[in-house]
Amino acid sequence: MKCLLIASESAEMLFYWTDLEFQQNIQKQYGASQEEGHGFPAFEDSISTLFAPIIISFSTMVTEADSYTSFTTENNHIYVLHQFDECLYIAVNGDGEEKEEDLRRKIYVMNKMIEVLFGMVTLSGNLLRKELRARDTEQRLRLWKHLQSLLETYSHLRENDQSFLVEAVERLIHPTLCEQCIEFLERRLVQQINSSVERGGEEVLHAFILVHTKLLAFYSSRNASILSTSDLLALIIMAQNMYPSNVDVDDPSPEVQSGDSLSNSTDSIFYTPEPSPTDKDSKKPVRGSTPVFEFVDPDIQMAEDSLSTLEVYPPDPATPHKVFLEVSQKDGLYPMMPHSMYCLKLWPGITLVLLTKFPHSGVAMSVYTFWEAFAKLEKRLNEGQGGSTRGQPMHEVRSKLDKFLKTLALNGIQSSQLQNVWTEFKNRAFSRGGPGFSRDLIPWCKNMKTQLCGIYRQCFLSDSGPDDTPRRLSPGLRERAQTMVQEQLMDWKDFLLVKSKRNITMVSYPLSDFPGLVHFICVDRSSGQMIAPSLSITERTTSELGKGPVAQYIKNKMWSLVSTTRHYLQKGYSTLTLRDGDFYFCYFLWFENETGFKLEAKDIPIMPDDSAPIGMLAQNYYRKLLRYYSKNHPGETVKCYELLTVHLGVIPTEIILQHCRQLASKLWEPSRNPLL
Amino acid sequence: MAELLQPDSRMCNYFFLYDGSKVRGEADPTRDGICYFFPEETPLDKQELLCGQLAGVGRCVSELSSSPARTLRLRRNKFAIRMKDDFFWALGCSVDVPTVSVSEFLDQLIDLFCFYNGPVRQSYQLNSQETLAAQWARYLSHLQSGSSELSHIFSCLKTIDSTNVDPLLLLKAALILQACQRCPLVLAGCILFRGRVVSTQMSPGLTMKVMVHESETYTKAQRPNGTSASSSFSGTVSSTTVFLTAPELQDLQSAPVDKGFSSDILKPSSCPTTPQRDGPSKKTRLSRTLSDTPSTESQVSNPSLSKPPQKASLSPRLSDSDVFSPALSHSAANSLNPSPQSLRFLSNGENTVEDEVEESRSRDSTGGRSQIRSEGDGSVFEEDSHLNGGEGEGAFGGVFEFQAVESGNEQPHDDKVVEEDSRVSRGSVSGHKAGKSDPPPLLPPPHRLSDASEENALIPMTLYMHRVKGLVLALLVEPHFMSDATSMEEVYHSSLASLNGLEAHLRTISPGAPGGPGPYTFAHFDCIQSTLTIFQLSLFC
Repeated sequence: MKCLLIASESAEMLFYWTDLEFQQNIQKQYGASQEEGHGFPAFEDSISTLFAPIIISFSTMVTEADSYTSFTTENNHIYVLHQFDECLYIAVNGDGEEKEEDLRRKIYVMNKMIEVLFGMVTLSGNLLRKELRARDTEQRLRLWKHLQSLLETYSHLRENDQSFLVEAVERLIHPTLCEQCIEFLERRLVQQINSSVERGGEEVLHAFILVHTKLLAFYSSRNASILSTSDLLALIIMAQNMYPSNVDVDDPSPEVQSGDSLSNSTDSIFYTPEPSPTDKDSKKPVRGSTPVFEFVDPDIQMAEDSLSTLEVYPPDPATPHKVFLEVSQKDGLYPMMPHSMYCLKLWPGITLVLLTKFPHSGVAMSVYTFWEAFAKLEKRLNEGQGGSTRGQPMHEVRSKLDKFLKTLALNGIQSSQLQNVWTEFKNRAFSRGGPGFSRDLIPWCKNMKTQLCGIYRQCFLSDSGPDDTPRRLSPGLRERAQTMVQEQLMDWKDFLLVKSKRNITMVSYPLSDFPGLVHFICVDRSSGQMIAPSLSITERTTSELGKGPVAQYIKNKMWSLVSTTRHYLQKGYSTLTLRDGDFYFCYFLWFENETGFKLEAKDIPIMPDDSAPIGMLAQNYYRKLLRYYSKNHPGETVKCYELLTVHLGVIPTEIILQHCRQLASKLWEPSRNPLL
Repeated sequence: MAELLQPDSRMCNYFFLYDGSKVRGEADPTRDGICYFFPEETPLDKQELLCGQLAGVGRCVSELSSSPARTLRLRRNKFAIRMKDDFFWALGCSVDVPTVSVSEFLDQLIDLFCFYNGPVRQSYQLNSQETLAAQWARYLSHLQSGSSELSHIFSCLKTIDSTNVDPLLLLKAALILQACQRCPLVLAGCILFRGRVVSTQMSPGLTMKVMVHESETYTKAQRPNGTSASSSFSGTVSSTTVFLTAPELQDLQSAPVDKGFSSDILKPSSCPTTPQRDGPSKKTRLSRTLSDTPSTESQVSNPSLSKPPQKASLSPRLSDSDVFSPALSHSAANSLNPSPQSLRFLSNGENTVEDEVEESRSRDSTGGRSQIRSEGDGSVFEEDSHLNGGEGEGAFGGVFEFQAVESGNEQPHDDKVVEEDSRVSRGSVSGHKAGKSDPPPLLPPPHRLSDASEENALIPMTLYMHRVKGLVLALLVEPHFMSDATSMEEVYHSSLASLNGLEAHLRTISPGAPGGPGPYTFAHFDCIQSTLTIFQLSLFC
């Protein structure tokens, strides 16, 4: 009994996902008889009718400055509600498998995925609504299906993968191979692609190899900014969604499987119908030349756009995905900058991911800068501190925006609407007789923001029409890249597949050193990486924990321990020890400086119950925590670590604590962990 | 932790009762449905908004999940909600308060209302909205009054500080209650002192409900008359109709109330709960209290309760005097597996239990049961008499020597009295019973019938209260108890002297907490009795 839905303020269903049980339940309530044969659309109607009162009441309460966060019922159904901008997310669980926290996390993750897929368009409720609820049913269904399967992939990973449990990236621990691969990616692959004429104006910024969900090697080109853990985790979800690895289900001999799916993947590469791959110079963007954008009415424009965006999610998995990732530059942080993501399947379970930069991503930065300026102005005006002096930064914006508009026009980007609104804004804000910077300007700020998001959308989201030049790496280039990496890793592939399941094992932590240690997870929150012995719970593989049940038991304990520690962390506790049956659990969070010197503990902020879930995927709690802690350590790099251990209950407490210290120092020995 | 102990605090931000049946049509304004809204000064618009929205969402969620919604959480408030028929209750607290506590609070509030007013729909038909609003306000303020946040969170009973009270006093209180229970019309009772529980035979929930009336009459104490004070009892006795739920009533009836005694003594631990007694033994008990009354009246300082044990030491056939011991020895013998009722009897202080354990152990080991037993009992009751005598120096350490001396002195006299009593009473009670042709000792059939037919039925009962200054004896009695002058007199007179004595002693005890406040707090919550014990310590004192 699970459900997640997104609704607009006017109770319009923007997206929903339900499991079968929930669907049946709704249909039963709505009278199954009339549903027969209709299937999808009828179900959509009934679900939106049933939820409408809640959604409308939510909007009513929001205007009264208080809003719902969660409901519970007598039979332990849980409803969690959260609003992001103008979209209301509701997650429901009726089978007791998820707690309120889990549902809240799911909502945040869904929002994160939508941000990654739609970028700045999410900042305008109206535009996002049109994006999520396309007029064309087929297109809408396709998008919803994609989002649904992303959500399912995430849920599966969250329930089965330790790295998604703690929301940190797990790397394959094999220093030599790892180094080799990084070198290969740098010297050969990325260099070759970036110097090729077939790259369609794109430039590879990041390249990494995934073995299932684990990272083998990661290379970023010199001029690329750091890829945040949050984004990397989101990309891994997308890659997993594209090429699901059934680690938990089957474990046949890799040869058989790799053989046939290799042909599969080459299939998709070779026989992709590409729309006229002309490789002319793509420096001049061709968009905007279509008459579509002459329409002033955004709705009409929308309708036309949705037709063109049909191309965005073709069934072909080799087509790049537009992803919007955070970029940190010297002059600031730019969330949601456009990238293309190429997911190339090397063998089943092994994937090469290339992240490329658009030729004109500079536009995105400008748009974001302007958007931020108007958002700040709006906030100031809302707080009632308009005033002419406060208008000063806007003068700077004024000249820059004028220039920006000219550039847009030069590049053939349709910006007449923005132009009109901007002219009106200038008349009101800057003219002598005008109202100046007062509250009256707020709607115009909003309007400007929407228009900017519209430009962004036009540039980066509505993909190339049929007559447009595809701005992407040519299929040939992609194929060559794939072959190169395949050749490089051919001898290693079986090893890697096994290694990914037994990345590190408890055997590496000998009984003599750590008697009684059953399991542990160690996370470096500064770099967003984790180490943990593998938990194999399938019948086929046997770990030290034995087969199925025992490992499953430890796994369940681990999952509940993590949720407990998060609960306490939220309430400001950084250390937790608890005895549960035959086991003794410990959790520590601590800070170190760059040289590995442990810094003194400090009170951790206490968060309200309905705050963002603790983790790194959706909202990076640890980044905030580090910022908070670093305030007292100016000029010092502060690192944050977490360690969770499970010991046998018979081990004396002093020994356990001693173990934890030893383990922590041993785990992060430089020799064991080559830098990314 | 310390802030939890502040005598804060308005726990509840909002409370309302909304009657959906009054707002059926589109045109009906929401305000028509608002039966009560707290805080009453809330603007009507806001009231309407909250009632309308929460009730609507509550219903919608209930439909979606096919199960009633229990909590609605908002950013600033969390609401526990209950829906019954067309009524919708919501109680809003700050989000810091645990959800279970909010839910429990609301349940208590609704239960309280029903306890004193009967079914909600019916009471709104019979009474004006204003009258009932005053009731809600009263219950709301009572539940929130003067206790710490911790006790709110645990919704625990306010008890006297048992660490600061001599266990014998607690035992005495329990004995008073047992004595009252000898009247077949009395279901169960509790003794309260200044708004705190001294001893109770009822479940924590029921005790809590009874306490509301007590606190109300306490404030009215100076005034000449209570709710319906019986003129004959000089204004210290009052009664009011209350409504019990079927499970509550069942609980009271099924509890192993020890209406008999002699047979218990003969088989001390083998059959602890034998509520079915033959007629005569009951009469004996009753008669004893009856016959005791004259002497009690004449010499208040020497109450009836202190007499019987002495007799036991003389007469090997063990008569009335043993009435006090069976229940106690049972609970001691069964202490590993105690029935809730027997625990409740001794609710106030482990000391009492320990004493009894010790007593029963020594009894068992020696075999010369009657002699040692009487000595043990003697210690208890000597203490009582000593207390009742008003010599409250608080020299409890010397109880045993004291008792040894006194018991020797008093025995002959007391025994005679009691022997005589029992003989006399036998006759008197049987006559009384024949004359009245009263219903069976448990419950008249109509009640049981209604139990079975409707689960949520509320059965009217009467709450009898006897006040001695700060001390109150509250008894749940059959409705016709109040019209039964004989029974009332029995109960009144049998307990009066003991209550006086108990009050005198409790009064001398300082209400202060043991030890000064310190940075460390130790709290112990007893979930069976629903009591909370809090110690504040400083480690370096």
